[in-house]
Amino acid sequence: MIDIFFILFAILAIGGAITMITAEEPMYATLGLLISILSVGGFFALLNASFLFMVQIIVYAGAVLTLFLFLLMFLNIKKEDLPHEPKKYMLITLGAVLMIPINMLIFKALSTLPNIDMVLVESDFGTIKALGMQLYTEWLLPFELISVLLLVALIGVIVLAKQKSKKEIKQ
Amino acid sequence: MTTLLGYGTIAIILFSIGVIGVVARRNIFVMYMSIELMLNAVNLLLVVFSKLHQDMDGQIIAMMIIAIAAAEAAIFLTVMILLFRSKGSLDSDLFIKLKPEINR
Repeated sequence: MIDIFFILFAILAIGGAITMITAEEPMYATLGLLISILSVGGFFALLNASFLFMVQIIVYAGAVLTLFLFLLMFLNIKKEDLPHEPKKYMLITLGAVLMIPINMLIFKALSTLPNIDMVLVESDFGTIKALGMQLYTEWLLPFELISVLLLVALIGVIVLAKQKSKKEIKQ
Repeated sequence: MTTLLGYGTIAIILFSIGVIGVVARRNIFVMYMSIELMLNAVNLLLVVFSKLHQDMDGQIIAMMIIAIAAAEAAIFLTVMILLFRSKGSLDSDLFIKLKPEINR
């Protein structure tokens, strides 16, 4: 049963990613990335990371990707605004060929590790309670620093968005 | 099938697709989405190792990566709006100068 889900998520994740880098329209590319990210969320669920599964769906698929789709519709990108890429498929194939040796190296390194089966077990591992206990004791300082980082990002975005261009100032 | 090697292979493939997307494409939207895909592949590998060692630290790092990616997305999309308004195109070759020369 888990094997079937694993294969399904694997096909969807890789298929979505390939759709993303080959699609001409940014909208289709975003939808491909959405499928890929949801499949990675499915992998998290198969790996006993139930809280991370929820975070992936709520934050990534729900917030970041929706913001992306919203922005694409907001900008109203036309066909002539897109870059002209005649050699796209050739470059992607060349990149895939060049990535094979690096992938082989990482694969070799991974195969030296104990190849245990990641069975889904009923346990406390990865639930909100267990993760929260860890987060608020050992990882308290990084957690607080993340909130400062989000505040900095918020202020930065407001400063950037309020900036007036030279043309607008002259008028 | 659902072993460390299986999940590792998926993560490697997703990461490589992300690298190829950044290098081979010229659309800045696709380049940014490739970076997001690479972050996701790293997250997947972190969760796999967290399961392998039965230690939750990997999952916490993955969660922090998601938080940082959300902050990054907000800033990136704002910069994207400014770039698109100043040049009217999504071609990355037009953005070689980081100066906002709007009147050109």
